[in-house]
Amino acid sequence: MIVSLKILKMCCSHNTEEKSVPLTQSTEKFDMDLIKGMRFFDPHVHMTSRTTDDYQAMADAGIVALIEPSFWLGQPRTGVDSFKDYYSSLVGWERFRSSQFGIKHYCTIGLNSREANNEALAEQVMEMLPLFIYKDGVVGIGEIGFDDQTAAEEKYYRLQLDLAKESGLPVQIHTPHRDKKRGTQRSMDIAIEHGLDPRMVIVDHNNEETVKEVLDRGFWAAFTIYPFTKMGNQRMVEITKQYGPERIMVNSAADWGISDPMAVPKTAALMKLNGISLADIELVTYRNAITAFAQSGQINETDFITAIDQSARFEGNSILRGGQQPRIDKSSIIIS
Amino acid sequence: MANTPKLTTIFSDIIKENITGDAWNWIYAQSNITNSFDVNSAFAIMPRKTGKALVQVNNQYQELINTVTPGLSISNWTIDRLSRVWVLTQYQDVDQDKYFRTIENLFSTAEMNEQVALYSALPFLYYPQLWVKRCAEGIRSNIGIVLEAIMYHNPYPAENLPEAAWNQMVLKAFFTDKQVNKIFGLDNRANKELARILIDYARERHAAGREINNMLWYLVEKFVTGQQLNKMKQGHFND
Repeated sequence: MIVSLKILKMCCSHNTEEKSVPLTQSTEKFDMDLIKGMRFFDPHVHMTSRTTDDYQAMADAGIVALIEPSFWLGQPRTGVDSFKDYYSSLVGWERFRSSQFGIKHYCTIGLNSREANNEALAEQVMEMLPLFIYKDGVVGIGEIGFDDQTAAEEKYYRLQLDLAKESGLPVQIHTPHRDKKRGTQRSMDIAIEHGLDPRMVIVDHNNEETVKEVLDRGFWAAFTIYPFTKMGNQRMVEITKQYGPERIMVNSAADWGISDPMAVPKTAALMKLNGISLADIELVTYRNAITAFAQSGQINETDFITAIDQSARFEGNSILRGGQQPRIDKSSIIIS
Repeated sequence: MANTPKLTTIFSDIIKENITGDAWNWIYAQSNITNSFDVNSAFAIMPRKTGKALVQVNNQYQELINTVTPGLSISNWTIDRLSRVWVLTQYQDVDQDKYFRTIENLFSTAEMNEQVALYSALPFLYYPQLWVKRCAEGIRSNIGIVLEAIMYHNPYPAENLPEAAWNQMVLKAFFTDKQVNKIFGLDNRANKELARILIDYARERHAAGREINNMLWYLVEKFVTGQQLNKMKQGHFND
Protein backbone atom coordinates (compact mmCIF):
# COMPACT_ATOMS: atom_id res chain seq x y z
CA MET A 1 0.00 0.00 0.00
CA ILE A 2 1.34 3.39 -0.90
CA VAL A 3 0.46 6.08 1.59
CA SER A 4 0.80 9.68 0.63
CA LEU A 5 1.93 12.29 3.05
CA LYS A 6 1.69 16.00 2.47
CA ILE A 7 4.66 17.83 3.73
CA LEU A 8 5.99 21.27 3.43
CA LYS A 9 9.50 20.93 2.15
CA MET A 10 11.75 23.86 2.79
CA CYS A 11 15.11 22.46 3.53
CA CYS A 12 18.01 24.71 4.10
CA SER A 13 16.17 27.68 3.06
CA HIS A 14 14.34 27.01 -0.01
CA ASN A 15 11.42 25.12 -1.46
CA THR A 16 8.17 26.09 0.11
CA GLU A 17 5.87 24.33 -2.28
CA GLU A 18 3.79 21.50 -1.03
CA LYS A 19 4.59 18.09 -2.37
CA SER A 20 3.10 14.66 -2.15
CA VAL A 21 5.68 12.18 -1.09
CA PRO A 22 5.53 8.50 -0.31
CA LEU A 23 5.63 7.53 3.35
CA THR A 24 8.94 5.92 4.15
CA GLN A 25 9.19 2.25 3.37
CA SER A 26 12.24 1.66 5.53
CA THR A 27 12.83 -1.86 6.65
CA GLU A 28 16.45 -1.94 7.73
CA LYS A 29 17.08 -0.92 11.32
CA PHE A 30 19.93 1.47 12.15
CA ASP A 31 22.39 -0.58 14.15
CA MET A 32 24.50 1.75 16.29
CA ASP A 33 27.05 -1.01 16.85
CA LEU A 34 28.17 -0.59 13.24
CA ILE A 35 29.59 2.85 13.98
CA LYS A 36 30.76 2.26 17.51
CA GLY A 37 33.96 4.17 18.25
CA MET A 38 33.73 6.28 15.07
CA ARG A 39 33.77 10.08 15.16
CA PHE A 40 31.70 12.28 12.91
CA PHE A 41 31.62 15.92 11.84
CA ASP A 42 28.35 17.26 10.40
CA PRO A 43 29.35 20.35 8.39
CA HIS A 44 25.79 21.55 7.75
CA VAL A 45 23.03 21.31 10.35
CA HIS A 46 20.60 23.96 11.63
CA MET A 47 20.56 23.19 15.34
CA THR A 48 18.54 26.31 16.17
CA SER A 49 15.59 24.39 14.76
CA ARG A 50 16.30 21.16 16.65
CA THR A 51 15.60 19.85 20.13
CA THR A 52 17.85 18.72 22.94
CA ASP A 53 16.84 15.14 22.10
CA ASP A 54 18.60 15.58 18.77
CA TYR A 55 21.75 16.86 20.47
CA GLN A 56 21.78 13.84 22.78
CA ALA A 57 21.22 11.38 19.94
CA MET A 58 23.92 13.02 17.83
CA ALA A 59 26.44 12.92 20.68
CA ASP A 60 25.57 9.27 21.36
CA ALA A 61 26.15 8.44 17.68
CA GLY A 62 29.65 9.94 17.74
CA ILE A 63 29.11 13.42 16.29
CA VAL A 64 31.82 15.46 18.00
CA ALA A 65 31.52 18.73 16.10
CA LEU A 66 29.23 20.47 13.64
CA ILE A 67 28.80 23.58 11.54
CA GLU A 68 25.59 25.58 11.63
CA PRO A 69 25.29 27.74 8.50
CA SER A 70 23.12 30.83 8.76
CA PHE A 71 19.95 30.48 6.70
CA TRP A 72 16.42 31.77 6.58
CA LEU A 73 14.10 30.85 9.39
CA GLY A 74 11.05 29.71 7.45
CA GLN A 75 9.62 33.16 7.11
CA PRO A 76 11.26 36.40 6.07
CA ARG A 77 12.81 38.71 8.65
CA THR A 78 11.55 42.27 8.51
CA GLY A 79 14.37 44.16 10.19
CA VAL A 80 18.12 44.14 10.52
CA ASP A 81 18.01 43.55 14.26
CA SER A 82 16.41 40.16 13.64
CA PHE A 83 19.51 39.23 11.65
CA LYS A 84 21.76 40.61 14.34
CA ASP A 85 20.04 38.57 17.04
CA TYR A 86 20.14 35.47 14.84
CA TYR A 87 23.86 35.77 14.14
CA SER A 88 24.47 36.50 17.83
CA SER A 89 22.58 33.38 18.79
CA LEU A 90 24.72 31.26 16.45
CA VAL A 91 27.89 32.36 18.23
CA GLY A 92 26.26 32.63 21.64
CA TRP A 93 23.30 30.70 22.92
CA GLU A 94 23.35 27.88 20.35
CA ARG A 95 27.06 27.38 20.83
CA PHE A 96 26.50 27.06 24.55
CA ARG A 97 23.54 24.72 24.10
CA SER A 98 25.67 22.45 21.93
CA SER A 99 28.56 22.45 24.40
CA GLN A 100 26.26 21.06 27.05
CA PHE A 101 25.99 17.90 25.01
CA GLY A 102 29.69 17.60 24.30
CA ILE A 103 29.46 18.76 20.69
CA LYS A 104 31.74 21.53 19.44
CA HIS A 105 29.66 24.08 17.55
CA TYR A 106 30.96 26.20 14.67
CA CYS A 107 29.00 28.35 12.26
CA THR A 108 29.16 30.11 8.94
CA ILE A 109 27.78 33.63 8.64
CA GLY A 110 26.11 35.06 5.57
CA LEU A 111 23.04 36.52 3.95
CA ASN A 112 20.99 33.68 2.47
CA SER A 113 19.87 33.90 -1.13
CA ARG A 114 16.16 34.02 -0.42
CA GLU A 115 16.38 37.09 1.79
CA ALA A 116 18.87 38.73 -0.57
CA ASN A 117 15.77 39.59 -2.60
CA ASN A 118 14.73 42.17 -0.01
CA GLU A 119 17.31 44.66 -1.17
CA ALA A 120 16.66 47.41 1.36
CA LEU A 121 17.21 44.94 4.19
CA ALA A 122 20.04 43.14 2.42
CA GLU A 123 22.03 46.38 2.30
CA GLN A 124 21.81 46.73 6.07
CA VAL A 125 22.73 43.10 6.64
CA MET A 126 25.80 43.45 4.41
CA GLU A 127 26.94 46.39 6.50
CA MET A 128 26.67 44.31 9.64
CA LEU A 129 28.39 41.14 8.40
CA PRO A 130 31.99 42.27 9.13
CA LEU A 131 31.03 42.48 12.79
CA PHE A 132 30.36 38.75 12.86
CA ILE A 133 32.63 37.05 10.34
CA TYR A 134 35.76 37.62 12.41
CA LYS A 135 34.28 36.10 15.56
CA ASP A 136 35.87 33.09 17.13
CA GLY A 137 34.50 29.85 15.69
CA VAL A 138 33.13 31.40 12.48
CA VAL A 139 34.53 29.03 9.86
CA GLY A 140 33.19 30.52 6.66
CA ILE A 141 30.78 32.73 4.75
CA GLY A 142 27.59 30.75 4.24
CA GLU A 143 25.23 29.55 3.21
CA ILE A 144 25.09 31.86 0.23
CA GLY A 145 24.30 31.42 -3.45
CA PHE A 146 21.19 31.13 -5.57
CA ASP A 147 17.55 30.31 -4.90
CA ASP A 148 15.41 31.87 -7.64
CA GLN A 149 18.55 33.00 -9.47
CA THR A 150 17.43 36.64 -9.52
CA ALA A 151 19.60 39.68 -10.15
CA ALA A 152 19.45 40.64 -6.45
CA GLU A 153 20.62 37.17 -5.43
CA GLU A 154 23.53 37.45 -7.79
CA LYS A 155 24.45 40.89 -6.49
CA TYR A 156 24.68 39.81 -2.85
CA TYR A 157 26.32 36.52 -3.73
CA ARG A 158 29.08 38.46 -5.49
CA LEU A 159 29.47 40.95 -2.63
CA GLN A 160 29.81 38.12 -0.15
CA LEU A 161 32.38 36.33 -2.29
CA ASP A 162 34.46 39.50 -2.10
CA LEU A 163 34.00 39.54 1.65
CA ALA A 164 35.17 35.92 1.85
CA LYS A 165 38.22 36.68 -0.21
CA GLU A 166 39.08 39.71 1.87
CA SER A 167 38.70 37.84 5.15
CA GLY A 168 40.38 34.65 3.96
CA LEU A 169 37.36 32.57 4.91
CA PRO A 170 35.99 29.52 3.07
CA VAL A 171 32.63 29.85 1.28
CA GLN A 172 29.70 27.49 1.78
CA ILE A 173 27.48 27.59 -1.29
CA HIS A 174 23.83 26.65 -1.26
CA THR A 175 22.83 25.37 -4.70
CA PRO A 176 19.23 25.89 -5.82
CA HIS A 177 16.49 23.27 -5.89
CA ARG A 178 15.11 24.47 -9.20
CA ASP A 179 17.26 24.61 -12.30
CA LYS A 180 19.93 23.06 -10.12
CA LYS A 181 22.57 22.10 -12.64
CA ARG A 182 22.62 25.50 -14.26
CA GLY A 183 22.55 27.23 -10.86
CA THR A 184 25.48 25.17 -9.64
CA GLN A 185 27.52 25.97 -12.74
CA ARG A 186 26.77 29.67 -12.42
CA SER A 187 27.74 29.65 -8.74
CA MET A 188 31.12 28.15 -9.61
CA ASP A 189 31.69 30.45 -12.60
CA ILE A 190 31.06 33.52 -10.48
CA ALA A 191 33.31 32.29 -7.66
CA ILE A 192 36.15 31.82 -10.14
CA GLU A 193 35.42 35.20 -11.70
CA HIS A 194 35.87 36.77 -8.24
CA GLY A 195 39.26 35.16 -7.88
CA LEU A 196 38.39 32.54 -5.29
CA ASP A 197 40.49 29.41 -5.10
CA PRO A 198 38.10 26.44 -5.64
CA ARG A 199 39.77 24.78 -2.64
CA MET A 200 38.24 27.52 -0.48
CA VAL A 201 34.73 26.83 -1.78
CA ILE A 202 32.38 24.12 -0.58
CA VAL A 203 29.55 23.54 -3.05
CA ASP A 204 26.63 22.08 -1.13
CA HIS A 205 23.55 19.98 -1.93
CA ASN A 206 25.14 18.12 -4.82
CA ASN A 207 23.58 15.16 -6.59
CA GLU A 208 24.50 12.73 -9.38
CA GLU A 209 23.96 15.46 -11.94
CA THR A 210 26.29 18.05 -10.46
CA VAL A 211 29.07 16.13 -8.72
CA LYS A 212 31.34 15.46 -11.66
CA GLU A 213 31.77 19.04 -12.76
CA VAL A 214 32.18 20.28 -9.17
CA LEU A 215 35.00 17.83 -8.52
CA ASP A 216 36.60 18.28 -11.94
CA ARG A 217 36.84 22.01 -11.37
CA GLY A 218 38.59 21.51 -8.04
CA PHE A 219 35.78 22.51 -5.64
CA TRP A 220 34.71 20.62 -2.55
CA ALA A 221 31.50 18.66 -3.11
CA ALA A 222 29.13 18.42 -0.17
CA PHE A 223 26.10 16.12 -0.22
CA THR A 224 23.04 16.63 1.88
CA ILE A 225 21.34 13.45 3.00
CA TYR A 226 17.78 14.67 3.37
CA PRO A 227 14.66 12.58 2.88
CA PHE A 228 12.37 13.07 -0.13
CA THR A 229 13.94 16.17 -1.71
CA LYS A 230 17.69 15.75 -1.66
CA MET A 231 20.04 12.77 -1.56
CA GLY A 232 19.18 9.43 -0.03
CA ASN A 233 22.09 7.66 1.59
CA GLN A 234 21.90 4.63 -0.70
CA ARG A 235 22.61 6.94 -3.61
CA MET A 236 25.41 8.45 -1.54
CA VAL A 237 27.02 5.04 -1.17
CA GLU A 238 27.01 4.66 -4.95
CA ILE A 239 28.50 8.12 -5.50
CA THR A 240 31.30 7.43 -3.04
CA LYS A 241 32.04 4.15 -4.80
CA GLN A 242 32.11 5.85 -8.16
CA TYR A 243 34.05 9.02 -7.33
CA GLY A 244 36.12 7.95 -4.33
CA PRO A 245 36.41 9.96 -1.11
CA GLU A 246 38.52 12.87 -2.25
CA ARG A 247 36.94 16.33 -1.63
CA ILE A 248 33.57 14.74 -0.87
CA MET A 249 31.69 15.33 2.37
CA VAL A 250 28.30 14.35 3.75
CA ASN A 251 25.93 16.47 5.85
CA SER A 252 22.38 16.33 7.19
CA ALA A 253 21.24 19.94 6.65
CA ALA A 254 18.67 19.02 9.29
CA ASP A 255 16.37 21.96 9.99
CA TRP A 256 12.71 22.65 10.72
CA GLY A 257 11.56 20.40 7.90
CA ILE A 258 11.30 16.63 7.99
CA SER A 259 14.98 15.85 8.13
CA ASP A 260 17.39 13.67 10.04
CA PRO A 261 20.22 14.97 12.25
CA MET A 262 21.54 11.40 12.32
CA ALA A 263 22.13 11.44 8.56
CA VAL A 264 25.93 11.45 8.81
CA PRO A 265 26.32 8.48 11.19
CA LYS A 266 23.57 6.58 9.36
CA THR A 267 25.32 7.10 6.05
CA ALA A 268 28.59 5.92 7.57
CA ALA A 269 26.85 2.77 8.79
CA LEU A 270 25.36 2.12 5.37
CA MET A 271 28.73 2.67 3.72
CA LYS A 272 30.28 0.16 6.08
CA LEU A 273 27.60 -2.40 5.25
CA ASN A 274 28.32 -1.83 1.57
CA GLY A 275 32.00 -2.50 1.88
CA ILE A 276 33.42 1.02 1.69
CA SER A 277 36.69 1.13 3.63
CA LEU A 278 36.82 2.68 7.08
CA ALA A 279 39.49 5.10 5.86
CA ASP A 280 37.22 6.35 3.08
CA ILE A 281 34.23 6.58 5.41
CA GLU A 282 36.30 8.68 7.78
CA LEU A 283 37.22 11.05 4.98
CA VAL A 284 33.67 11.73 3.81
CA THR A 285 32.02 11.82 7.24
CA TYR A 286 34.74 13.57 9.26
CA ARG A 287 38.12 14.52 7.88
CA ASN A 288 37.34 16.25 4.58
CA ALA A 289 34.94 18.72 6.16
CA ILE A 290 37.53 19.60 8.78
CA THR A 291 40.24 20.04 6.15
CA ALA A 292 38.01 22.31 4.10
CA PHE A 293 36.68 24.53 6.87
CA ALA A 294 39.87 24.54 8.96
CA GLN A 295 41.26 26.81 6.24
CA SER A 296 39.51 29.49 8.29
CA GLY A 297 42.09 28.94 11.02
CA GLN A 298 39.17 28.49 13.40
CA ILE A 299 38.97 24.72 13.87
CA ASN A 300 41.14 23.02 16.44
CA GLU A 301 40.51 19.31 16.81
CA THR A 302 41.80 19.27 20.36
CA ASP A 303 38.72 21.31 21.24
CA PHE A 304 36.56 18.33 20.27
CA ILE A 305 37.87 16.24 23.14
CA THR A 306 36.48 18.48 25.79
CA ALA A 307 33.92 19.83 23.34
CA ILE A 308 34.07 23.13 25.15
CA ASP A 309 36.66 25.85 25.39
CA GLN A 310 39.17 26.02 28.19
CA SER A 311 37.29 29.00 29.44
CA ALA A 312 34.15 26.94 29.93
CA ARG A 313 35.97 24.55 32.20
CA PHE A 314 36.37 25.19 35.86
CA GLU A 315 36.90 23.21 39.00
CA GLY A 316 34.12 21.46 40.85
CA ASN A 317 31.05 22.60 39.02
CA SER A 318 30.38 20.18 36.23
CA ILE A 319 27.06 21.13 34.72
CA LEU A 320 28.84 22.59 31.73
CA ARG A 321 31.07 19.64 31.10
CA GLY A 322 30.47 18.10 27.73
CA GLY A 323 27.98 15.29 27.63
CA GLN A 324 27.03 15.68 31.24
CA GLN A 325 23.60 17.15 30.83
CA PRO A 326 21.27 15.15 33.06
CA ARG A 327 19.31 12.48 31.23
CA ILE A 328 15.65 11.83 31.71
CA ASP A 329 14.00 8.45 31.38
CA LYS A 330 11.49 9.08 28.63
CA SER A 331 9.83 5.72 29.06
CA SER A 332 8.83 6.59 32.61
CA ILE A 333 5.45 8.14 33.41
CA ILE A 334 7.13 9.86 36.36
CA ILE A 335 8.74 13.27 35.78
CA SER A 336 10.80 14.40 38.73
CA MET B 1 38.64 54.08 38.92
CA ALA B 2 41.47 55.39 41.06
CA ASN B 3 42.87 51.88 41.32
CA THR B 4 42.71 51.08 37.68
CA PRO B 5 46.05 52.37 36.44
CA LYS B 6 47.87 50.17 38.87
CA LEU B 7 45.73 47.16 38.10
CA THR B 8 46.17 47.56 34.36
CA THR B 9 49.91 47.48 34.93
CA ILE B 10 49.57 44.23 36.86
CA PHE B 11 47.40 42.87 34.06
CA SER B 12 49.84 43.81 31.37
CA ASP B 13 52.72 42.25 33.31
CA ILE B 14 50.78 39.01 33.62
CA ILE B 15 49.74 39.06 29.96
CA LYS B 16 53.31 39.61 28.87
CA GLU B 17 54.46 36.56 30.82
CA ASN B 18 51.73 34.38 29.30
CA ILE B 19 52.12 35.03 25.58
CA THR B 20 54.75 35.18 22.85
CA GLY B 21 56.79 38.28 22.15
CA ASP B 22 54.96 38.85 18.86
CA ALA B 23 51.56 38.64 20.47
CA TRP B 24 52.69 41.01 23.20
CA ASN B 25 53.91 43.55 20.68
CA TRP B 26 50.54 43.44 18.96
CA ILE B 27 48.65 43.85 22.23
CA TYR B 28 50.92 46.64 23.43
CA ALA B 29 50.11 48.55 20.25
CA GLN B 30 46.47 48.58 21.40
CA SER B 31 47.25 50.83 24.39
CA ASN B 32 45.10 53.95 24.75
CA ILE B 33 42.60 53.17 21.99
CA THR B 34 40.30 56.07 21.27
CA ASN B 35 38.05 54.92 18.47
CA SER B 36 35.35 52.29 18.44
CA PHE B 37 36.51 50.59 15.26
CA ASP B 38 39.87 49.75 16.83
CA VAL B 39 38.36 48.47 20.05
CA ASN B 40 35.88 46.32 18.09
CA SER B 41 38.53 44.65 16.01
CA ALA B 42 41.10 44.22 18.81
CA PHE B 43 38.40 42.72 21.00
CA ALA B 44 37.13 40.28 18.33
CA ILE B 45 40.49 39.13 17.08
CA MET B 46 42.09 38.57 20.51
CA PRO B 47 42.12 34.72 20.75
CA ARG B 48 43.79 34.53 17.33
CA LYS B 49 46.65 36.53 18.79
CA THR B 50 46.86 35.16 22.33
CA GLY B 51 45.49 31.61 22.18
CA LYS B 52 43.08 30.44 24.86
CA ALA B 53 45.25 28.79 27.51
CA LEU B 54 44.53 29.26 31.20
CA VAL B 55 46.50 32.17 32.59
CA GLN B 56 49.39 31.25 34.86
CA VAL B 57 49.32 33.69 37.77
CA ASN B 58 51.79 33.39 40.65
CA ASN B 59 50.74 34.03 44.25
CA GLN B 60 52.52 37.34 44.37
CA TYR B 61 50.40 38.72 41.54
CA GLN B 62 47.30 37.19 43.02
CA GLU B 63 47.91 38.94 46.35
CA LEU B 64 48.66 42.19 44.60
CA ILE B 65 45.41 41.97 42.65
CA ASN B 66 43.50 41.35 45.84
CA THR B 67 45.05 44.36 47.51
CA VAL B 68 44.34 46.66 44.60
CA THR B 69 40.86 45.33 43.83
CA PRO B 70 39.38 43.41 46.75
CA GLY B 71 37.22 40.53 45.62
CA LEU B 72 38.83 40.10 42.22
CA SER B 73 40.50 36.85 41.23
CA ILE B 74 41.69 35.94 37.76
CA SER B 75 43.03 32.51 38.62
CA ASN B 76 40.54 30.69 36.36
CA TRP B 77 40.73 33.14 33.51
CA THR B 78 42.03 32.29 30.07
CA ILE B 79 44.61 34.52 28.42
CA ASP B 80 42.19 35.79 25.76
CA ARG B 81 39.75 36.79 28.50
CA LEU B 82 42.38 38.70 30.47
CA SER B 83 43.70 40.35 27.33
CA ARG B 84 40.23 41.39 26.22
CA VAL B 85 39.56 42.92 29.63
CA TRP B 86 42.85 44.75 29.39
CA VAL B 87 42.00 46.15 25.96
CA LEU B 88 38.68 47.42 27.33
CA THR B 89 40.55 49.21 30.12
CA GLN B 90 42.63 50.91 27.41
CA TYR B 91 39.64 52.31 25.56
CA GLN B 92 38.51 55.79 26.51
CA ASP B 93 36.21 58.36 25.02
CA VAL B 94 35.50 61.79 26.45
CA ASP B 95 32.03 61.53 24.91
CA GLN B 96 30.10 59.42 27.44
CA ASP B 97 27.30 58.54 25.00
CA LYS B 98 29.73 57.34 22.39
CA TYR B 99 31.63 55.31 24.97
CA PHE B 100 28.37 53.74 26.13
CA ARG B 101 27.24 52.90 22.59
CA THR B 102 30.56 51.30 21.71
CA ILE B 103 30.62 49.05 24.76
CA GLU B 104 26.91 48.22 24.45
CA ASN B 105 27.44 47.25 20.83
CA LEU B 106 30.15 44.83 21.91
CA PHE B 107 27.70 43.26 24.34
CA SER B 108 24.86 42.94 21.86
CA THR B 109 26.96 41.21 19.19
CA ALA B 110 29.14 39.14 21.53
CA GLU B 111 29.81 35.44 21.12
CA MET B 112 29.93 33.30 24.24
CA ASN B 113 33.54 33.91 25.30
CA GLU B 114 33.28 37.57 24.39
CA GLN B 115 30.32 37.87 26.75
CA VAL B 116 32.42 36.32 29.51
CA ALA B 117 35.19 38.86 28.93
CA LEU B 118 32.75 41.78 28.78
CA TYR B 119 31.05 40.93 32.06
CA SER B 120 34.45 40.30 33.65
CA ALA B 121 35.39 43.83 32.62
CA LEU B 122 32.44 45.51 34.36
CA PRO B 123 34.52 46.63 37.39
CA PHE B 124 37.01 48.36 35.10
CA LEU B 125 34.74 50.21 32.70
CA TYR B 126 34.35 53.96 32.95
CA TYR B 127 31.11 55.42 34.35
CA PRO B 128 30.28 52.42 36.61
CA GLN B 129 26.62 53.38 37.02
CA LEU B 130 26.04 53.08 33.27
CA TRP B 131 26.43 49.31 33.44
CA VAL B 132 23.90 48.48 36.14
CA LYS B 133 21.17 47.53 33.67
CA ARG B 134 23.59 45.59 31.52
CA CYS B 135 24.77 43.62 34.57
CA ALA B 136 21.16 42.86 35.53
CA GLU B 137 20.60 41.72 31.94
CA GLY B 138 23.60 39.40 32.19
CA ILE B 139 22.11 37.84 35.31
CA ARG B 140 19.11 36.88 33.17
CA SER B 141 21.40 34.86 30.89
CA ASN B 142 21.13 31.11 30.83
CA ILE B 143 24.70 30.60 29.71
CA GLY B 144 26.53 29.15 32.70
CA ILE B 145 29.93 30.70 32.04
CA VAL B 146 28.37 34.14 31.55
CA LEU B 147 26.62 33.90 34.90
CA GLU B 148 29.86 32.82 36.51
CA ALA B 149 31.73 35.75 35.01
CA ILE B 150 29.32 38.04 36.84
CA MET B 151 28.97 36.02 40.02
CA TYR B 152 32.44 34.67 40.78
CA HIS B 153 35.13 36.93 42.21
CA ASN B 154 33.67 39.95 40.45
CA PRO B 155 33.44 43.07 42.65
CA TYR B 156 31.07 44.96 40.33
CA PRO B 157 27.69 43.58 41.50
CA ALA B 158 28.29 44.12 45.22
CA GLU B 159 29.51 47.65 44.61
CA ASN B 160 26.92 48.78 42.09
CA LEU B 161 23.73 46.75 41.93
CA PRO B 162 20.61 48.03 43.67
CA GLU B 163 19.12 45.64 46.21
CA ALA B 164 16.53 44.01 43.94
CA ALA B 165 19.09 43.16 41.25
CA TRP B 166 21.60 41.95 43.83
CA ASN B 167 18.99 39.69 45.39
CA GLN B 168 18.04 38.34 41.98
CA MET B 169 21.67 37.47 41.31
CA VAL B 170 22.09 35.59 44.59
CA LEU B 171 18.82 33.76 44.11
CA LYS B 172 19.78 32.83 40.56
CA ALA B 173 23.12 31.51 41.84
CA PHE B 174 21.26 29.12 44.13
CA PHE B 175 18.76 28.28 41.43
CA THR B 176 21.46 27.36 38.90
CA ASP B 177 23.63 25.41 41.37
CA LYS B 178 26.48 27.89 41.35
CA GLN B 179 29.18 28.02 44.01
CA VAL B 180 27.57 30.78 46.02
CA ASN B 181 30.59 31.24 48.27
CA LYS B 182 32.49 32.67 45.28
CA ILE B 183 30.19 35.70 45.14
CA PHE B 184 31.99 38.75 46.47
CA GLY B 185 30.19 40.88 49.05
CA LEU B 186 27.72 38.33 50.42
CA ASP B 187 28.13 39.54 53.99
CA ASN B 188 28.00 43.24 53.24
CA ARG B 189 25.02 42.93 50.94
CA ALA B 190 23.01 40.45 53.05
CA ASN B 191 19.55 41.88 53.63
CA LYS B 192 16.22 41.02 55.12
CA GLU B 193 14.34 40.88 51.83
CA LEU B 194 16.89 38.43 50.42
CA ALA B 195 16.50 36.29 53.53
CA ARG B 196 12.73 36.28 53.05
CA ILE B 197 13.03 35.23 49.41
CA LEU B 198 15.55 32.52 50.27
CA ILE B 199 13.33 31.12 53.02
CA ASP B 200 10.50 30.97 50.53
CA TYR B 201 12.77 29.20 48.07
CA ALA B 202 13.91 26.76 50.78
CA ARG B 203 10.28 26.04 51.61
CA GLU B 204 9.55 25.27 47.97
CA ARG B 205 12.63 23.01 47.68
CA HIS B 206 11.59 21.19 50.82
CA ALA B 207 8.04 20.68 49.54
CA ALA B 208 9.43 19.25 46.28
CA GLY B 209 11.71 16.90 48.17
CA ARG B 210 14.86 18.55 46.83
CA GLU B 211 18.07 19.33 48.69
CA ILE B 212 18.73 22.74 50.20
CA ASN B 213 22.19 24.29 49.77
CA ASN B 214 23.81 25.00 53.17
CA MET B 215 24.97 28.41 51.99
CA LEU B 216 21.33 29.43 51.92
CA TRP B 217 21.10 29.22 55.71
CA TYR B 218 24.24 31.32 56.04
CA LEU B 219 22.45 34.20 54.33
CA VAL B 220 19.29 33.68 56.37
CA GLU B 221 20.70 33.23 59.87
CA LYS B 222 21.30 36.91 60.60
CA PHE B 223 17.63 37.64 60.13
CA VAL B 224 15.94 34.89 62.13
CA THR B 225 16.28 33.52 65.66
CA GLY B 226 18.36 30.42 66.32
CA GLN B 227 15.17 28.55 67.11
CA GLN B 228 13.49 29.55 63.84
CA LEU B 229 16.59 28.53 61.90
CA ASN B 230 16.76 25.10 63.49
CA LYS B 231 13.08 24.51 62.83
CA MET B 232 13.45 25.42 59.17
CA LYS B 233 16.50 23.23 58.78
CA GLN B 234 14.34 20.38 60.00
CA GLY B 235 11.69 21.20 57.45
CA HIS B 236 9.25 23.14 59.66
CA PHE B 237 8.46 26.33 57.82
CA ASN B 238 5.27 27.44 59.55
CA ASP B 239 6.49 30.28 61.69
